[in-house]
Amino acid sequence: MKARVAVVGLGKMALLHASILSALNSVELVSFCEISPLVRRFGKKIIPSVGIVAGVQELAGMGLDAVYVTTPPRSHFGIVREIYGAGIAHHVFVEKPLASSYFEAQELCSLAEKHGGINMVGYDRRFSVTFGKAKRILDEGTLGQLSSFEAYAYSSDFLGSKGRSKASSRGGVISDLACHAVDIALWFFGRLEVKSARVESLLGDGSQDAVDFQVASPASLEGWIRSSWCKEGYRMPEIGLIVRGSSGTMKVDEDKVEVNLGKDAPFLWHKHDLGDNVPFFIGGTDYVREDEFFIRSVLNGSPAEPSFSTASKVEEIIEHVKRMSDDSK
Amino acid sequence: MLLLVGDNPFHGISHLSQQRAVARGYDLTNPSYAANLVNISLDNGADGFMFTVSETTLSILRILNKGRRREDLHLYAIIPYAYEFVRLAVLAGGVPGLARKLGQQIVLSGNWRAITSGVKGALATDPSSLLEGYLYFEMARLRSAAGRKATVDTIMLHELVTDMALALNMDWVFKTHTEFMLAHRIRPGFETRNFAYLVKKFEEWRIDFGKVTIAAPFNSLGFQMCPSRKECEEALRRIPEGEVIAFSVLAAGYLKLPDAVAYTANFPTLRGIAVGVSKEQHALETFNMLRENTR
Repeated sequence: MKARVAVVGLGKMALLHASILSALNSVELVSFCEISPLVRRFGKKIIPSVGIVAGVQELAGMGLDAVYVTTPPRSHFGIVREIYGAGIAHHVFVEKPLASSYFEAQELCSLAEKHGGINMVGYDRRFSVTFGKAKRILDEGTLGQLSSFEAYAYSSDFLGSKGRSKASSRGGVISDLACHAVDIALWFFGRLEVKSARVESLLGDGSQDAVDFQVASPASLEGWIRSSWCKEGYRMPEIGLIVRGSSGTMKVDEDKVEVNLGKDAPFLWHKHDLGDNVPFFIGGTDYVREDEFFIRSVLNGSPAEPSFSTASKVEEIIEHVKRMSDDSK
Repeated sequence: MLLLVGDNPFHGISHLSQQRAVARGYDLTNPSYAANLVNISLDNGADGFMFTVSETTLSILRILNKGRRREDLHLYAIIPYAYEFVRLAVLAGGVPGLARKLGQQIVLSGNWRAITSGVKGALATDPSSLLEGYLYFEMARLRSAAGRKATVDTIMLHELVTDMALALNMDWVFKTHTEFMLAHRIRPGFETRNFAYLVKKFEEWRIDFGKVTIAAPFNSLGFQMCPSRKECEEALRRIPEGEVIAFSVLAAGYLKLPDAVAYTANFPTLRGIAVGVSKEQHALETFNMLRENTR
């Protein structure tokens, strides 16, 4: 049995997910949905094997099982509401972040709960073999009583660029990049509360380009989350985490996991050691495992994580950081 | 066995660890330093240079072209430099912004064949003409940087383009690229991380393996050999007529060179190996060892 899927948007994330889905045996990629007439016109010629419609409503009646929403975050709320409202598909995948505000994220959670079906948000690092390994190590209690952590998300995407318009269109570094570190921190440590926050504008004119905030868990775990998209040396975005506990320290990023228990040499696992192969490789292995997982959940009717509800907690933290940063000005 | 020096270290890439790439410093991305490493590799057994066409590698080619007489320089070029395109898309506001930027670059290049094909493609909504326009543009800047003495053996499409086109059944991409390159006496090539899938699709589309070069990961660990090492090896055995170049033979630095030599020796139909080097001594030892053990 194949899942019939449509992809809303025709940008780079749409092409990435569409390529993966198309290569999976369990999926029939039925249609794209793209608002721009020019992109649609070229899209039809470039990808003749898949249909393209102009509006979300036109996807109705295609017998879709699931829709992927890959458009800019500010459009997610309206599109997902339309998908649910018109009964276009039972299951919805939204590329991260879920929405452009915590309020919208909560509304989408209510809609999803009312509608039923599988819902998931594209925090792909959860599907990285290294972060998966680190989570298992943490759950096994290897590090003892946890005391602190530092999470980071860095890229050089806007290093040396001028003007804020393009950076702002992505919602600022908090919503675009730091959200990955926040999601990983929430996944690893559960509930977190923002204690203090500082947002920096490096490109000028009020853009949000670097962020640094302190969080704490109810179990007195302290954490720092830092992110910048103007950081030198990060050709590709990198998400990482350092966790300290009573029995040792763990460092994890997309390439490796290192556990130091204070005696002998540290334990080190590269992604090579952790079974990183996928059925079809494009844009990294995390995305492939993420899409495989969502489609399997759709076909089996089993819940998918991170769900809208889980991802809305990232929006909650982001909102607190923004508010706290505004208050401190 | 064709031995090629690869360019990943010159772009600051380490697939073993991004931290390692950052820590390696900036010497490697300095074109003069990189050109010296390419020269040492060529002097010690490398037959050519396999690289993605970018400002960094074009600068390396200019230095190689000017600095000394290199009549043995064989080039295996990969286009486009996907990282730069993705970054451009980010800065230019998505795929339409990227297309505009690229269009501007082609117009500014003054290459009339690239401009004509590009305009024709844009007016007629013809992706093949657009692709041809882009290929003219890349071919011209490559030849201009490399000089007359260098031989452009192969121009390959980057894995992001190849693998997306494979997945989305865009057979016109492979046919257009193949016909265009053959018409210009350059061997068409395709870089992929889905070798077994590509072989299956090419068989389906009746693309002649004897006319194309395919670059794909091959290593004893099965690292990035998708869907599995076994299936990639079986696919390789199925196409003895193909020119297949192995990269990631060291699994991004995880394996040692003797492992790579021993592993690739199992596949007599493998036409070449590409390996990146980051230091003079490393270049010297790597290509001496490969030359002695693969010929």
